[in-house]
Amino acid sequence: LGIHFDHIWQKTLTVLNPMKPADGSIMNETDLTGPILFCVALGATLLLAGKVQFGYVYGLSAIGCLVIHALLNLMSSSGVSYGCVASVLGYCLLPMVILSGCAMFFSLQGTFGIVSSLVIIGWCSLSASKIFISALDMEGQQLLVAYPCALLYGLFALLTIF
Amino acid sequence: MPGPASKRRIPVSQPGMADPHQLFDDTSSAQSRGYGAQRAPGDLSYPAASATPQAAFLADPVSNMAMAYGSSLAAQGKELVDKNIDRFIPVTKLKYYFAVDTMYVGRKLGLLFFPYLHQDWEVQYQQDTPVAPRFDVNAPDLYIPAMAFITYVLVAGLALGTQDRFSPDLLGLQASSALAWLTLEVLAILLSLYLVTVNTDLTTIDLVAFLGYKYVGMIGGVLMGLLFGKIGYYLVLGWCCVSIFVFMIRTLRLKILAEAAAEGVPVREARNQLRMYLTMAVAAAQPLLMYWLTFHLVR
Repeated sequence: LGIHFDHIWQKTLTVLNPMKPADGSIMNETDLTGPILFCVALGATLLLAGKVQFGYVYGLSAIGCLVIHALLNLMSSSGVSYGCVASVLGYCLLPMVILSGCAMFFSLQGTFGIVSSLVIIGWCSLSASKIFISALDMEGQQLLVAYPCALLYGLFALLTIF
Repeated sequence: MPGPASKRRIPVSQPGMADPHQLFDDTSSAQSRGYGAQRAPGDLSYPAASATPQAAFLADPVSNMAMAYGSSLAAQGKELVDKNIDRFIPVTKLKYYFAVDTMYVGRKLGLLFFPYLHQDWEVQYQQDTPVAPRFDVNAPDLYIPAMAFITYVLVAGLALGTQDRFSPDLLGLQASSALAWLTLEVLAILLSLYLVTVNTDLTTIDLVAFLGYKYVGMIGGVLMGLLFGKIGYYLVLGWCCVSIFVFMIRTLRLKILAEAAAEGVPVREARNQLRMYLTMAVAAAQPLLMYWLTFHLVR
């Protein structure tokens, strides 16, 4: 089938540890299996929490991928393909799945919910920008890449909270 | 009789075919025997075989050709899209405006909120081309305006959400109205520049960049308004309006009035004054638009 489980696991570990610098070769082959799995998991946890919002999840991810693909193509010296962007963004959706999993058990609209969602958004965008920076060889731009990713994951968090 | 090797797919006349004028190959199973019989004698590339693998080989080259055609069509389509996008959106020119790094963005944001102490507003040039924004804080860029616009739309959604007036189509309405105002502004300024016959090196993209800087102040105002109510909104908005006014005057003065200063002796008073008025009008329009686009978000 072409699905390499150890690659998927390696990429997942890179996402889960945002402090460790990533090497640029992990994104050499773009696979969409992991991201699609995480998107479906997000939709499933949202469903279990009582919000039927599959359409918003997919539409938002498509538009967000397009915007970030355009931005990265303009900002980096080497271009980036759409599949690579979709793959990275999908992998870094994993902490958001954890957040919406928590939303099943207690409501996130209090202070603790807001603080934890801010932490999760920061986590997602830091890992995404870290992978983009190392794969595309851009220096001095990590925060600049992290900001639009944070906006995108912020929208996902809004979907999860409200 | 024509050789069988050259007419693999469309045998026109062969023994056993009912109609000598048949123009296409009838690949129903009844005919495959005749086909196989023709193929068997002199064919080297296909193994001489009975009728049933013959039908399978019929499917294979056709599907291979279909796949090759499909993939070449996809490649052609992608090339077409790339070429046309290059025609409408000058990608290499845009890349100049996105060559930023974090230090530049930090310094530019500081300049947008506090332009009073900055002395030198000239853009440095390097062999006739302006230096990339990474290296000169005075150069315009499109990263900040683009991000500021998107953040403004999201913050507007947030503000409407806290007033329980949120719905996704209202967000879309907000986004398109802000975009419409921006387009109107760009067109108005281009028109007035054309009427005043100013020769500047102010390109349209530069203008969009400069006009996009006010969204930063708007975001600040709305956020403060969300946190601290109307007082915070008016204070921060007032501060940002004055800052953006000073910023625009100082930046546009160099662009629009530059050659008036560089012309030297024959400075025509009326022309110079007109340009001064134009700069003041553009700079004054910014605070007005900042207020107009945000006051309904803060109650």
